[in-house]
Amino acid sequence: MWRRFFNRQATDADFEEELQAHLEIETKQLIDRGLTHEHAEMEARRLFGNRPLVMEASREVRGYGDLARFWQDLRYAARLLRRGPAFTVAAVLSLALGIGATTAVFSIADTVFLRPLPYADAGQLAWVAIRFPSIGAEFIPSPDYVAWRRDNQVFQELAATRANFDSIMLLGGSDPVEVAAGRVSANFLNAFSVTPAFGRTFKAEEELPNGPKAVLLTSQFWRDHFHGRRDVLGSVIPLDGQPYTIVGILPQSFVYPVDVKIDLLTTLPVSPTASHRDRSMSTWAVFGRLKHGVKLAQVRANLDTLFAASKADAPQMFRADNSVVLQPLREHRAGNVRVLLFILMGAAGCLLAIACANVANLLLARWSARSRELAVRAAIGAGRGRLARQLFTETALLIAASTAVAMIFVAAALRGFVHFAAAELPRLSEVTADVRVFGIALLVSLATVLIFGALPALRAGRVDIQSVLQRAGRGGAPGGHRIMRRALVAVEVALSVVLLSGATLLFETLWHMQNDHLGFRPEHLLTVAIPLRGSSFDGAAREALASDVLTDLRRIPGTEAATVAHCTPLYGGDRWITFSRSDRPLPEAFHRGDGIGVCGVGPDYLKAAGTRLARGRFLTDDDFQHPDTIAVINEAAARAYFPGESPLGKQILGGRVGPWKTVVGVVTDTKNQGLNQPATPEAFVNDTGPGSTVDLLFLVRTLAGEGALARALREDLRGQHPGLFTKIETLDEAIGQLTASPRFNTVLLSTFAAVAFLIAIVGVYSVLAFSVTQRSAEIGIRMALGASPRAVLALVMKEGAVVVTAGALAGVAGALVLTRYLTTLLYGVAATDPGTYLAVVTGLGLAASAASFLPARRAAVLDPVVALRYD
Amino acid sequence: MPNRIEFIQGTLDLLILQVLRWGPQHGHGIGQAIRIRSQEVLQVEHGSLYPALHRLEQKGWLASEWKMSEANRRARYYRLTPNGRRQLIEEQSRWKQLVRAVARTMKPVKE
Repeated sequence: MWRRFFNRQATDADFEEELQAHLEIETKQLIDRGLTHEHAEMEARRLFGNRPLVMEASREVRGYGDLARFWQDLRYAARLLRRGPAFTVAAVLSLALGIGATTAVFSIADTVFLRPLPYADAGQLAWVAIRFPSIGAEFIPSPDYVAWRRDNQVFQELAATRANFDSIMLLGGSDPVEVAAGRVSANFLNAFSVTPAFGRTFKAEEELPNGPKAVLLTSQFWRDHFHGRRDVLGSVIPLDGQPYTIVGILPQSFVYPVDVKIDLLTTLPVSPTASHRDRSMSTWAVFGRLKHGVKLAQVRANLDTLFAASKADAPQMFRADNSVVLQPLREHRAGNVRVLLFILMGAAGCLLAIACANVANLLLARWSARSRELAVRAAIGAGRGRLARQLFTETALLIAASTAVAMIFVAAALRGFVHFAAAELPRLSEVTADVRVFGIALLVSLATVLIFGALPALRAGRVDIQSVLQRAGRGGAPGGHRIMRRALVAVEVALSVVLLSGATLLFETLWHMQNDHLGFRPEHLLTVAIPLRGSSFDGAAREALASDVLTDLRRIPGTEAATVAHCTPLYGGDRWITFSRSDRPLPEAFHRGDGIGVCGVGPDYLKAAGTRLARGRFLTDDDFQHPDTIAVINEAAARAYFPGESPLGKQILGGRVGPWKTVVGVVTDTKNQGLNQPATPEAFVNDTGPGSTVDLLFLVRTLAGEGALARALREDLRGQHPGLFTKIETLDEAIGQLTASPRFNTVLLSTFAAVAFLIAIVGVYSVLAFSVTQRSAEIGIRMALGASPRAVLALVMKEGAVVVTAGALAGVAGALVLTRYLTTLLYGVAATDPGTYLAVVTGLGLAASAASFLPARRAAVLDPVVALRYD
Repeated sequence: MPNRIEFIQGTLDLLILQVLRWGPQHGHGIGQAIRIRSQEVLQVEHGSLYPALHRLEQKGWLASEWKMSEANRRARYYRLTPNGRRQLIEEQSRWKQLVRAVARTMKPVKE
């Protein structure tokens, strides 16, 4: 076939000569019959007929016409697209948006669900945990981890990391910085088959609570912070005031299996003698590497045995609904983003469908206008297949151009995703615009070509030559096209109603999250954090530092109130313990029953946070003579634990966990579990000593900006306490972080919806504008016969209204079915909220009316004389 | 114009093979031979003839070579290959069957 193609010139010449011989023989015979040479030549040519047609027919038989014809079609299509730049730009842009969005979302889905994990033999890796449905978490308590690691028969390695991911450590030096540390068991890197780029992994003794302290640096941190010097191996760095030895550098390709950015890895304290009877225990996330040839069922059986032993050892710790979780790591990593990704995939798919429908519409309009050209070409011998192929080539070229443009969108979109959604979507750091993504784009656009390129091409290929030519230039659209174009626009409207409804619901959620009553005043509220871990500040020194800082803070102009606190109003306590009261039996130790958050605060907390007192009084300076004896609870706690009685004067939270505390007041709830959750019970206690850590946290209500306050504070502290690290944040920032992921969802879906909406409105407009142009003669006649401009206006508007209404109704029905899947992402608004749908439909209706008004007006002011002469 | 008859699908191939039984011939000659032997009833369109020749050559039933023609110039002469000869015999018997069948169908029914 290829050889044939390249030989084509020769073969064509061959055939040319064969035909020439034919003509000459004919001529000679005619001359023999007595014609003059000239006449004979002319007659011979006449008798022969259409020579190029014969050439073409023969070429087809010889079979190498396809490629040549494809080039011809392609050149012709390119010429046409160049000739209508407005159309081309509109079509390419909308298709590129559709293809780009779909490709970006599918690439992420591909990374999350399909791409192999970046670990050797990743199929052997599994997530192992105990599920605690009552607190909605999965983890393994440290004693159970130690027991399971020792006693299991199915894992090569069972490795642990911290379950609550963010472990911030302070890297000391002249200018202290915070670093994100991953804390892991010593066998962690072996479990994931990761070998350091330089140096070694952790030794077994390095995970012992009093063992040597070692760190491995990530490649990035090593280069940023140590300029990639090899001689840092073996050197000692101060972390939280303790000396740590750098034993290795992680490879560039290392990906931490928990989705959090880390700068270095160090060890968890794993005590080989950990037991359920210890005073405290940790909760860990555990990953296992299965032994070769072990089936998941065997693993599960083994884990069930181990869990049964754990339960027998500490029955009070576990409830009946606790269960063992065993998941292949890949499944665990895909996790609960399924819903979000499916929604995004649906939205992107909708957008692509709308873009396709719109371009198909534009193409149909163009082809209707070209029906005369097509008919002429059919009349002079172009077969139906030939015409359809030509039109198909035009579509394919359009989509090819769009795909090229889409790749630019995809690269930008993926970068945006990585930037804004890193916390939302797992493994996002692995997403890159690579060959795989291009492959996905190719698949998406190929599907686009097949689905919508073929359909209109087949329709347009079916040209009724006679009827078109008889209409001689009147170039009306065949009836089939008109119905098809309206159906396409109705589909566009329906899909954009679906997208708009989803986006509006998310928007309302965001609005509720940001504007619902927080229970405190976040504006002008700052937190000042001073990490003291490992430093020499203990007991009295810490007290002195706290009072120094408070004095400084109060002296800074603009400060209204400042207090030490163990937690901010956004978090429900520094510790979570089982509720107890002196007039009831004590709950068992580690009883995972009714909990309450405990937060030690100073007397100015109420004023600083801006919370209101509901009953009784708040803590006063005098209360701090006897710390940890007085409590103020929030309304959620009063409701939960003192239903129908007054909590004032009751003794709570005593026994094993400390002295009993007298309740002296009740404060209003704050959103202490995230913005989309109801408040949980919380008790504020007169305790400014070390909480769960020795770090100091201050809440400051101030009129000064955070920058000014930070400068003033650091200035004051530098003299008294050099080398202290202070971190100052506004509560607004903290709230911003909490709303980051809903905001991201909303922005994304809103963008999709806005583009879809725009395309649909343009669709409505173009169908009507085209229809007016086509019907101008008919409209002219109507007006000549006495139709008023108002009647003409109504005629066109009605045409638009029918399409839009049909689409909107279908859209609402579709949205009611589909937005159910949004439920988990919504807060403060129901997925079936009638107001939302009403607003969407009204808005769309108004926009569509505006879009149909323009062509309708043009029809109404049409001059009948001009209109009738137009053709 | 004499009465012309549209070719039934496949008949042209048969006619070409038949004409070439008497020896090599060029395209013009084949067309003329069909016209003359059918007493001007069958007019072969050149747009059908040449594609048919090329198709038959591709199937291996014809072979072609360049030879001097009566017009004193090079022309392409087609001749039957052994395969073509076998094909011709097959087509002939099929044609006879067809003719007989059509004739029987067309015969007026006796009352």
